[in-house]
Amino acid sequence: MTSTYVATLELAAGAVLLSAVMTLWRRSVSSIVAMLRLQGVALCAVAVDLALHENDRALLVTGALVLVVKGVVVPTVLRRVAKWDPRSRESRPLVNVPASLVFAAGLIVLSYVVGTRITSLSPDDATRLAPLGLATVLVGYFMLVTRRRAVSKIVGLIVVDNGIALVTFLLTSGVPLIVELGSSLDVMLVVVVLQFLMASVRHHSRIDALTELRELRD
Amino acid sequence: MTGWVYAGSATLIQVVTVGLGGPLLVGLMAKVKARAEGRVGAPVVQPLRDLRKLATKERLHARHASPVLALAPVVIVASTTVAVAISPLVSTRPLLGSSADILAVVYLLLTGSAAAALGGLDVGTAFGGMGASRAMTIGALAEPALLVAVIALSLPSHSSNLPRIMASTLAHPDWVLGPSRLLALAALVIVVIAETGRIPVDNPSTHLELTMVHEAMTLEYAGSELALVTWGESMRVGLLFSLVANLFVPWGISTHATVLSVVVAVASLAAKTMLVALGVALIEVRSAKLRLFRLPELLAGGFVLSVLAVVTGLVTR
Amino acid sequence: MLILAILAVPVSMTVVAATFSWRAWVGWVSAGSCALILGLGIALGVATSSGPQWALHHSLRADSLSAFMVVVIGAVSLLATLFTPRTMRQELSGGIISARYARHYVVLMQAFIVCMLGAVVTANLGVFWVCIEATTIATTFLVSHRRTDGAFEASWKYVILCSVGIALAFLGTVLVYFAERHVPATAHGSSLDWTTLTALAPHFDPNVTRVAFALVVVGYGTKVGLVPMHSWLPDAHGQAPAPVSALMSGVLLSVAFYGLLRFRAVAVAALGPTFPRALLLVVGMASLLLATVMLIAQRDLKRMLAYSSIEHMGLLAVAAAVGSPLALAAVLLHILGHGITKAVLFLSAGEIAHLEGTTEIAQISGLLARRPALAGIFGVGLLSLIALPPFSLFVSELTMARAEVDAGLWWAVAASLLCVSVIFAAVGRHARQMLFGGAVADAPPSATDRSLVLPLVGALVVCGALGIVSWPLQSLLVHAAHGVMP
Repeated sequence: MTSTYVATLELAAGAVLLSAVMTLWRRSVSSIVAMLRLQGVALCAVAVDLALHENDRALLVTGALVLVVKGVVVPTVLRRVAKWDPRSRESRPLVNVPASLVFAAGLIVLSYVVGTRITSLSPDDATRLAPLGLATVLVGYFMLVTRRRAVSKIVGLIVVDNGIALVTFLLTSGVPLIVELGSSLDVMLVVVVLQFLMASVRHHSRIDALTELRELRD
Repeated sequence: MTGWVYAGSATLIQVVTVGLGGPLLVGLMAKVKARAEGRVGAPVVQPLRDLRKLATKERLHARHASPVLALAPVVIVASTTVAVAISPLVSTRPLLGSSADILAVVYLLLTGSAAAALGGLDVGTAFGGMGASRAMTIGALAEPALLVAVIALSLPSHSSNLPRIMASTLAHPDWVLGPSRLLALAALVIVVIAETGRIPVDNPSTHLELTMVHEAMTLEYAGSELALVTWGESMRVGLLFSLVANLFVPWGISTHATVLSVVVAVASLAAKTMLVALGVALIEVRSAKLRLFRLPELLAGGFVLSVLAVVTGLVTR
Repeated sequence: MLILAILAVPVSMTVVAATFSWRAWVGWVSAGSCALILGLGIALGVATSSGPQWALHHSLRADSLSAFMVVVIGAVSLLATLFTPRTMRQELSGGIISARYARHYVVLMQAFIVCMLGAVVTANLGVFWVCIEATTIATTFLVSHRRTDGAFEASWKYVILCSVGIALAFLGTVLVYFAERHVPATAHGSSLDWTTLTALAPHFDPNVTRVAFALVVVGYGTKVGLVPMHSWLPDAHGQAPAPVSALMSGVLLSVAFYGLLRFRAVAVAALGPTFPRALLLVVGMASLLLATVMLIAQRDLKRMLAYSSIEHMGLLAVAAAVGSPLALAAVLLHILGHGITKAVLFLSAGEIAHLEGTTEIAQISGLLARRPALAGIFGVGLLSLIALPPFSLFVSELTMARAEVDAGLWWAVAASLLCVSVIFAAVGRHARQMLFGGAVADAPPSATDRSLVLPLVGALVVCGALGIVSWPLQSLLVHAAHGVMP
């Protein structure tokens, strides 16, 4: 029983990070959104696995919420938003794909180095995996910084958010208060950022109008 | 059977199996691709027939050819054969199995690649040089991914010796589904596709000047030398496929000296490599060849995957 | 009770603004509610001088520092809301917005004020985080209020950068919680209360706390406008309506900085002073340098003010790095002085932009001759901003420099004085261009509305008075500074 728990946890946490890397790797919006969907499902698996292990009903509900929000709602909304974008590919990222993949490898090693210093405080089965969550955060952040298109930036933001959710699950084993805080972050992302994007899409009737704007600079 | 006899016969069986099986795998992939595209396709044994026909034909050298041109095919076949002989494919205890370090096998294969590139360069034609430079570029790009994936594979058993990795996997079946293993597998598949020159890295059936990589290097060969080069290449395919299969699913391999276990091992090896070949053929059918400039993307992806494999391996153990 | 009243006033004002459609009286009532908050804040300051106040089963807690922050929020939001009717009238008559958006605007402004007040009176750093997050939501829509291309671009940058910042701060909070949970003494369960945390901090694991504090500094530093993630600030401040810029620059930055001060206390207790000091010094000096460089060649009036906010936040971070009671008291005085001065400047700059139809410095000239009252206020505000005596910013900057010298940070004093003098020259040059420059037309000087002049002059007088006599604040500042000593 325990070993299934550990194996599932390892696999799901690995899948979260893998899908983060895949969002850097792939170019077409549809496959990037598919990766986000995978990430949401993997995150849900982490939560459910922890919940079953610790007999925590609240966490089980959280897992279901994660599945609905990150596995279904966010990717679906994102896909709809992306339809407004005339270009379906990230044509000119600030850092090209091979370089960003190599950079991501560096970030993963970095988060391993930093993360193990944190997790050495209590090296149990869940906590040990926290460096994977940190790496997801860094990869998402990198995507946010180096990609130009609005949709890619939002994907980066969501990856950062998922990574933080993973770290939270692993480090705190789903303490109610913390999890509620985290879910308010998701609300902010989904409601505000996407709502905002939709509003500006209605205003400009094009999504990339936002990122093409270069009015404000010094 | 005593130990020496067992080891010796296992080695012999390995060489024969891969020597014959390699061309058959190539034929199988061609057949699968043809069927998927709605054609009947050549029979699976066609590559063997081609080899037999080429072997009887006269060899021709260009006027400015140096001995390198004649030497290269021999080196290709010899290095691949040694790699096949020492790797644990049918048995975990072949002759010289203790020296079957994963790095040794990799560099034996690279010796073959280097010989092929030199052979391509030797006559000095434009295509040969172009193919050689491209093949070396791809090889150089694939190498970091390969080495890091090797580290990931050797983490759990604390050894890079192939028989030992397989033995410890046999003892711990739960390792196979660990995230580290799966990521390393994905990275290795990318590397193997690059090293064996399949789509999306290279198209083995093209003769279009702009896209040829491996075919461009063999343009200057004819007759029995061409047969050697092609045969070496298909042995390389057989070896890499069976290594991937055995590293991740080693069950079926013979660990002790009975006739039955060896028969089972050959049969299971054939089944596993056919599955790998099927998978690669499906990848080939489903994807288009990447432009050469997009290759670094694919191989950098393989590199990240293998780094991921190492880090998850360190985190989870 | 006082704490509850402080929250209840703006909450009920939000409800009022949401219920009635926009009329001028709604604006005046909202200004009245802000005046009430200011009064309650002063009362809270008196009440907390004998010890912290609690409310709602210890979920709200106010010490002198909270009371001081309430006073700052009350003062600046009073100034900003006094301009609401005026701004709405200009925008409605100019056809920039429709009546529906005027109502949105008032509701969002009040909600924004509620969130900031909630952030400073909560006892729990999780709730603090939620409040800061909520300010991001409210201000995003306030920044894009005018619905122009520039406004959308600014609020897009703002929402993306601040979401990341907020997310990083959340990660830091989670790590702090993780560190707290593994303190052996708290086997019975732990809380995220500032008081509990500060008490337990000496037992925290230093590795975890170090990473947590770094994340918090970068995360909340985004909202403060400190260097690695500051780039939203000039855009947002330049594009938002003037009262919103006044409120954001005057208090939102400081409220986020308040969080950094609290976290610093925890970090110093856990790690000793070296690491927090080094980190704050780096981000502070970097912000200061960046602001200096950007101010020299600035072409836009409102962006100039925004970069000056980055400069002042940098000064605050450097002084907070020192962390002596003197330095912290100076930091707080600086927060108040900067809040009021920046509000005056943004509000008068908004008026200038409305009258002149541009915010480009090069296209504004001879203002003092054409609109003496407005230009006078603006000019005096700039003098206050570059910390000339007798204004309170002069006193606080001097005190911060003294505290830095006491701590042996000579190089920091030297570097920040150099930056401040360069900024002095740069702002002076821009001011000369706008106030005196260009050919003066013969047209008679136009008068300025008294409803505009009175509040701004009043605010500047307060700033000046605070620089000369700080006795009403002295004990509050000292108490508050000791509240964030580990």
